[in-house]
Amino acid sequence: MKVNLKIWRQAGPDAPGKLVDYSVENIDPSQSFLEMLDTLNEQLVKSGQEPVAFESDCREGICGNCGLVINGIAHGSKGGCTTCEIRMRQYNDGDTITVEPFRAKAFTLIKDLVVNRSAFDRIMSKGGYVAMNAGSAQDANLQPIHQDAAEAAMDAAACIGCGACVAACPNASASLFVGAKVSQYTWLPQGQVERSTRALKMVKQMDSEGFGDCSNHAECEAVCPKEISIANISRMRREFTKALFTR
Amino acid sequence: MINLKEPQISSVCKKMLTGITGLSLVLFLVAHLIGNLTLFAGPDVFNAYAQFLHHFMHGMFIRIAEVGLLGFFALHIWSALSVQRSKKKARPSRYEVNAYAGGASKKSIHSLYMAVSGITILVFIIIHLINFKYADHEAVGTMTMENGIEVTNVYKLVVLTFQGNFGLVLLYMVAMGFLCSHLLHGIWSAIQSVGLTRPSTIPYLNLVGMAFAVALAVGFLLLPLLIFMMRGTFDPNAVPEYGTHARLMLAPLAPWILG
Amino acid sequence: MIKKPTLDAKIPEGPISEKWTNHKFNMKLVNPANKRKHEVIVVGTGLAGASAAASLGELGYKVKSFCIQDSPRRAHSVAAQGGINAAKNYQNDGDSVYRLFYDTVKGGDFRAREANVHRLAEVSNSIIDQCVAQGVPFAREYGGTLSNRSFGGAQVSRTFYARGQTGQQLLLGAYGALMRQVDAGTVELFTRREMLDVVIVDGKARGIIVRNLVSGELEEYAADAVLLCTGGYSTVFYLSTNAVNCNATAAWRCYKKGAHFANPCFTQIHPTCIPRFGETQSKLTLMSESLRNDGRVWVPKKKKDDRKPIDIPEEERDYYLETKYPAFGNLVPRDIASRNAEEVCVQGRGVGPTGYAVYLDFADAINRLGKDVIAARYGNLFAMYHEITGDDPYETPMMIYPAPHYTMGGLWVDYNLMTTIDGLFALGEANFSDHGANRLGASALMQGLADGYFVIPYTLGNYLATEKPAPVNTNAPEFTEARKQVSQGIKDLMNIKGKTTADEIHRQLGDIMIEKVGMSRSEEGLKEALEEIPKIRKKFYEDLCIPGDTKDYNKELEKAARVADFLELGELMARDALERKESCGGHYRVESQDEEGEAKRDDENFCHGAVWAFQGPDKVPERLIEELHYEHVIPSNRSYK
Repeated sequence: MKVNLKIWRQAGPDAPGKLVDYSVENIDPSQSFLEMLDTLNEQLVKSGQEPVAFESDCREGICGNCGLVINGIAHGSKGGCTTCEIRMRQYNDGDTITVEPFRAKAFTLIKDLVVNRSAFDRIMSKGGYVAMNAGSAQDANLQPIHQDAAEAAMDAAACIGCGACVAACPNASASLFVGAKVSQYTWLPQGQVERSTRALKMVKQMDSEGFGDCSNHAECEAVCPKEISIANISRMRREFTKALFTR
Repeated sequence: MINLKEPQISSVCKKMLTGITGLSLVLFLVAHLIGNLTLFAGPDVFNAYAQFLHHFMHGMFIRIAEVGLLGFFALHIWSALSVQRSKKKARPSRYEVNAYAGGASKKSIHSLYMAVSGITILVFIIIHLINFKYADHEAVGTMTMENGIEVTNVYKLVVLTFQGNFGLVLLYMVAMGFLCSHLLHGIWSAIQSVGLTRPSTIPYLNLVGMAFAVALAVGFLLLPLLIFMMRGTFDPNAVPEYGTHARLMLAPLAPWILG
Repeated sequence: MIKKPTLDAKIPEGPISEKWTNHKFNMKLVNPANKRKHEVIVVGTGLAGASAAASLGELGYKVKSFCIQDSPRRAHSVAAQGGINAAKNYQNDGDSVYRLFYDTVKGGDFRAREANVHRLAEVSNSIIDQCVAQGVPFAREYGGTLSNRSFGGAQVSRTFYARGQTGQQLLLGAYGALMRQVDAGTVELFTRREMLDVVIVDGKARGIIVRNLVSGELEEYAADAVLLCTGGYSTVFYLSTNAVNCNATAAWRCYKKGAHFANPCFTQIHPTCIPRFGETQSKLTLMSESLRNDGRVWVPKKKKDDRKPIDIPEEERDYYLETKYPAFGNLVPRDIASRNAEEVCVQGRGVGPTGYAVYLDFADAINRLGKDVIAARYGNLFAMYHEITGDDPYETPMMIYPAPHYTMGGLWVDYNLMTTIDGLFALGEANFSDHGANRLGASALMQGLADGYFVIPYTLGNYLATEKPAPVNTNAPEFTEARKQVSQGIKDLMNIKGKTTADEIHRQLGDIMIEKVGMSRSEEGLKEALEEIPKIRKKFYEDLCIPGDTKDYNKELEKAARVADFLELGELMARDALERKESCGGHYRVESQDEEGEAKRDDENFCHGAVWAFQGPDKVPERLIEELHYEHVIPSNRSYK
């Protein structure tokens, strides 16, 4: 099969960008979307042009490295998967596909489709953990955790930090990312000591990174590869408000 | 009125504020609607209700309510606009293609254009206040209640305002359309904003919110539409035949309000 | 044999269960006030790297942490699915530190160092405690206690797991600990940096040269010790279950600076992966081995049989594992399952578009247990398979094929995890020490975290306290020299200006590696590989094409530099495989099999680690050995018939 591509090309953060037309032929329907882009890049390199810069690593939907906005939807229209998990058979022969980077002020563009998501790391550094030095832990079975609580924590912990929530949000808000992390630790006995500081500090860092505010569009949940519920945002708000009054 | 300089207030606080004020305003709308619907119980009930509103607690109640409402509106508008401003700043370069992801998404024209519907509602409220609150209440005169008290005949004011005024009825219809749009996203969103959702309740709250939005808009439209369409039924100069009307919800209060 | 120089692994004296305890006491300590005067470089942020950087930061060292991704959380440890072993014996089923030690040595086919494995088993319990305390949401029983499952042929349930995302959750735990130290100021984080060389001053590793992958600039960093936590080298095969950016460059450049490389031919090929569909494939996806519990493996009896699987009658199917290994059937260990799949495909009986796949059929299981039971057990795997291949495993048999998955070989380290370069340590998959010739399931995560949380904090302190490294900074001539060399290397690659892309060369290398240095290896094939790889390398240096600029985000340049190293590493793997004239674990030499065609170890001649010392470009490296002594787990034969 063949597809026509409109890909965002931008040489650097301050360079002007535009959509450039390409076409890729002889696509195997079993190819992943990124392998299709690999094929395009190999064509470009062989013809002496610069390949399209995009990121990926594990190519099995867990590392969170890849992320493209495909036809206006982060990680494509299939839902519940990352860009690397999209297979070409979902498209029709001759389709035109527009590919753009994740766009947000907090995700500055590096080149073409590559953006800088280190804002997430800075948010995590403010409390996305339980402060526990190596060696000071008690026996793992000393604190039983209700199975439902462990499952709820795992639901929130499944976040891969890809940033699709920000990319998809009409406001470029990072609430789902932060909500998932804050929420994860509310379910567990571990980290209760830091519970309120965590909520306050992580939200504060989120605000200072230049993400927009949340308007509850829930577009984030729809594009989240791990289908993390926006109820985590709700939980974060409860947690934050409680922290405001208890600290 | 709106502080254009971004104060240091957390995004979560802003959402809380928008949510709490929004939900409060919805509660106000419910009360307002119930009040409106008393019109269908007859001029005496409606006028009695108006009289009650204006004289309860020696008139203090309405003042407090007005100031409160004004404050809630102001906070709601400020916090919501602040979210709007953050949105512009947070994505300086727009997408070339925009789409709806579907599935769990609640993104819609309603959610995307909350500011537009909100501002339209604000403009409407001003017109609405001019129509009724700041109308010439002297001109419609008074009505004598069953116990002999003279009350302002707001029933006549309402009926006269809508009767034969297609333009105004149309304006109200449009305005209620925007209100409906605002609340289709607004009600569930406010519940989410104040942190009262769980994964399992989100779909239901969303549906309930939307149903409530439609119900409110239709409820408010009943009054102008019926007055406009059923000219014979609503007589501005109607004099109640005391004793024959069902007093509906005001009946238990009547002796107390009306002395 | 001409000469057999041996290496000193510095294994402490005493009974095996007291070696680590005694060693911890005997090691020198760095006074708390002095720790902040020591700088440590940690390269890589997977389980080993993140846990090491975090733990050293907690102790008060000044740590610099480097990763090639945009965030430490993306290291490929994140993709581990199954679980992590520990000798907790929470199930009361007879597990113990000694049993975990025993299973691991045996599973490694008696090519791992006993003392290291025992230490690994000892600290395994602390790892679980640590991770739970970090809030890792492990699976739980109804009563709230931790849940276990059995894994990888172990007879006890000792595997802890968090759904199918154990690696991710453990990594997020370590990443969280790391980010906490970043916030505390003890760890400085350098993302999107690729280590291209180690800098040696006065015989000690004192710094690294990295390329900033965004600006393209070379940067120098100095420290008192360098920790290499850069993972394995399965991507030498091009197609593997590893991430596309996984590479051997950091370890390989250290090898060329004097860090010996041990057992490079010990690679693990995982039997249940989705087969490749064609040329443009970039990655092989692993599916849980649990599928073999209910699926039956078969191929057509006839060669090149292109009928649909359901049209092939029962009598024309060859359930080769069941016939050959009646006792274990489809549940034979990884290496045996992989090798047999390759064998039938080479015979021309493979299926699928490439002929390199075998069926894994669930029809019988569905008939016996019902679709619902199968869906409950494997629903998510079936969905994933359906998504990737377009075939529905409920309707038609799955196709599977083995894929390179893990490399047991790596930089040689002594008991303290130090390589043959003083001050250069290797942790996790990057070293060779704990898994011998074959790694058991759910042991990789355990080793990475053991090294980072519980071994290196002690042994690094001992090194620093003993050696007392003199101050050094990046103005030292050694840094300038190393930087110049790296810079020249990049320029040389850019100046080739040929017509072949790095990926094309990498694929050619991968084809040779999987065919000749893959699941089964013959003297003839290995000799061919030793001739062909230099030819590809020659082509690489004559016809490589890299567009763009060095001073820019340039993925093609990154790939080319990595392929250059794979082209050398691949050759060393073939050489090592050729020299090891025995079959053991993941290394199967067709010449070394018993009467029944099973792997035959040669303990008399090869009960050692083969340790390769670089002798210079285009020179044959020297093969040193580390003799292995088994005092507790007496070598025996594996039989699965």
